[in-house]
Amino acid sequence: MTAPFLHINGIRKTYGNVVATDHVELAIAEGEFMTFLGPSGSGKSTTLYILAGFQDPTAGDIRLRGQSILQTPSHKRNIGMVFQRYTLFPHLSVGENVAFPLRVRRMGQDEVAAKVKRALSLVRLDGFEDRMPAKMSGGQQQRVALARALVYDPPVLLMDEPLSALDKKLREEIQFEIRRIHQETGVTILYVTHDQEEALRLSDRIAIFNQGKIEQVGTGPELYANPATHFVADFIGDSTFLAGQLAGVSGNRAGLRFADGTLVADVPLHGSGHAGQAAELMLRPERIELAPEPGAAGASLPVTVEDMTFLGNNTTVAARTSWGDALSVRLNFGHPLSGRIARGDSLYIRWSPEAAHAFVRG
Amino acid sequence: MLSAIAARRRGSGLGFAMPAILLLLAFFVVPVAALLTRSVTEPEPGLQNYVTLLGNSTYARIFFNTFFVSAVVTLITVLIAFPVAWALAIMPRRWAGVIFAIILLSMWTNLLARTYAWMVLLQQTGLINRSLMALGLIDAPLQLTNNLVGVTIGMVYIMLPFMILPLMGVIKKIDPAILQAAALCGATKAQALWRVLVPLAAPGIASGALMVFVMSLGYYVTPSLLGGTANMMLAELIAQQVQSLLNWGMGGAAAFVLLVVTLGLYAVQLRFFEPGEGR
Ligand SMILES: Nc1ncnc2c1ncn2[C@@H]1O[C@H](COP(=O)(O)OP(=O)(O)OP(=O)(O)O)[C@@H](O)[C@H]1O
Ligand SMILES: [Mg+2]
Repeated sequence: MTAPFLHINGIRKTYGNVVATDHVELAIAEGEFMTFLGPSGSGKSTTLYILAGFQDPTAGDIRLRGQSILQTPSHKRNIGMVFQRYTLFPHLSVGENVAFPLRVRRMGQDEVAAKVKRALSLVRLDGFEDRMPAKMSGGQQQRVALARALVYDPPVLLMDEPLSALDKKLREEIQFEIRRIHQETGVTILYVTHDQEEALRLSDRIAIFNQGKIEQVGTGPELYANPATHFVADFIGDSTFLAGQLAGVSGNRAGLRFADGTLVADVPLHGSGHAGQAAELMLRPERIELAPEPGAAGASLPVTVEDMTFLGNNTTVAARTSWGDALSVRLNFGHPLSGRIARGDSLYIRWSPEAAHAFVRG
Repeated sequence: MLSAIAARRRGSGLGFAMPAILLLLAFFVVPVAALLTRSVTEPEPGLQNYVTLLGNSTYARIFFNTFFVSAVVTLITVLIAFPVAWALAIMPRRWAGVIFAIILLSMWTNLLARTYAWMVLLQQTGLINRSLMALGLIDAPLQLTNNLVGVTIGMVYIMLPFMILPLMGVIKKIDPAILQAAALCGATKAQALWRVLVPLAAPGIASGALMVFVMSLGYYVTPSLLGGTANMMLAELIAQQVQSLLNWGMGGAAAFVLLVVTLGLYAVQLRFFEPGEGR
């Protein structure tokens, strides 16, 4: 087996008794766009900073093309980075900012000029060489920062929430640019965000961080269709969780019994458990159907309608199970039931078997 | 204060500035005018005081001493204050607070007391000479008082806070992420210092250096106590002319030259480092 291009190998970092990251393990392929997605304080930046050399890990190793880089100081790692805050050198023009990495490498004047021109063209800022950073918008500054990070052709580009200070429209515009630049340059990108939409839009694969650990790694569709934990299911997409008990476990499939006695059979089970243990059923709202009568055995539950909200292309129905768990169902515009249901109606939710997942309660 | 100056420069807010202007007239312009008048009228009308002052080699020596010592003091102060200010800016808040308090306390301690303390430390049998000899670094005590070396050491010590304070102001405002960015861009520590940190701190260095240089030009206590009579500086000359020789004309001329140089330097500073330009 050949060594992965970039191997984050069991990284642990503690600050006093705060565990910032714990056994972070990740193999990244050359040219891959890998995103770290997770809530605030989950250890995303810490992992990135260890890669950049700003922090030393308490344990673990980082290997690039099989070689550990931990002993290499930041300025010799040849890694590119775009930060969350604006970090252009305020006393230097845009051209000189982009030239900076080349100048400290003592590159010849002509080569510097040519590379700066190409880098600025890559981020669509041709001709901005003489502009001062303070005279540019936030989006433009981050593009210059991107040009500065790419001008020396680093093997790996780190981006720590580079768009979080920008408004939504600008953010989407630059996300598009980042995708294009990734395709044009083929650079390996490690991208940090806590915006799931951004992660899904940009990434080849996503690593879901929670409390310093990676919960799951996979492509967007994989994570959505097959979340490994409650946390992942909750973090990617909307989900409904219904509390019940395991009833009959065989391999990685199980049945769930709910408080009203209903049995939902043969659901994929994540985590190991035994009959009688508390568990929950996860359903995606767009995979749930509302109907006047129960569906196929074991993939249906009775609910009571509590409220309806018309949202243009769909009507969102808030309902409650007989034991009190809330859930929501979307009826597309024109659905036969929309406009025909009222508060207090007793209906059934139904789903196709592969849309449900069971998680053992930890 | 700065905004008042700026407002006056724009020619607005004159009404609000009136009391300040009157105060300046009474306590600054009038005495300076009187001094200027005496310098061109005593002992007889004419510019002979200025001709003597700028032409005579004894006085030239005093001017040279003054500017040379001030320049060296300014330079050494910058070199010491920069790392100190940097350390204070990145140090945990609590420690920085303690050290800062020590610096302020030393500023508030009586100037004469501090200068006499240096005299004791620097003399032939003083702590510094004895330590150096004990360490075997020198065989005979160094001459550290009654010369410009002593003056320079004493003045650097007195001037340090005036350099550290403005430097801390600018360094604190520099985002550490900018230096991290410089490092990842491939800059060594030295390159990050010269290409990023120093340019960003330039407004603070300039205002601190101007302050120290100008204060040094007119400094009296330290040069007179640590410099001895052979190495006079401008302020001592003025004191000597006025107090001992009652030569108000010559003293006034020297004071006026000092004032012109100071205002000239201030104009240069305003020209290149507009207040509020430093980020
Ligand atoms: N210098 C530090 N000293 C002490 N604790 C720290 C330090 N840096 C980070 N931590 C802690 O480590 C944990 C992980 O922080 P990290 O910055 O990696 O989170 P993050 O996932 O990047 O969050 P965010 O989305 O808010 O940027 C947090 O609990 C944080 O408080
Ligand atoms: Mg972070």
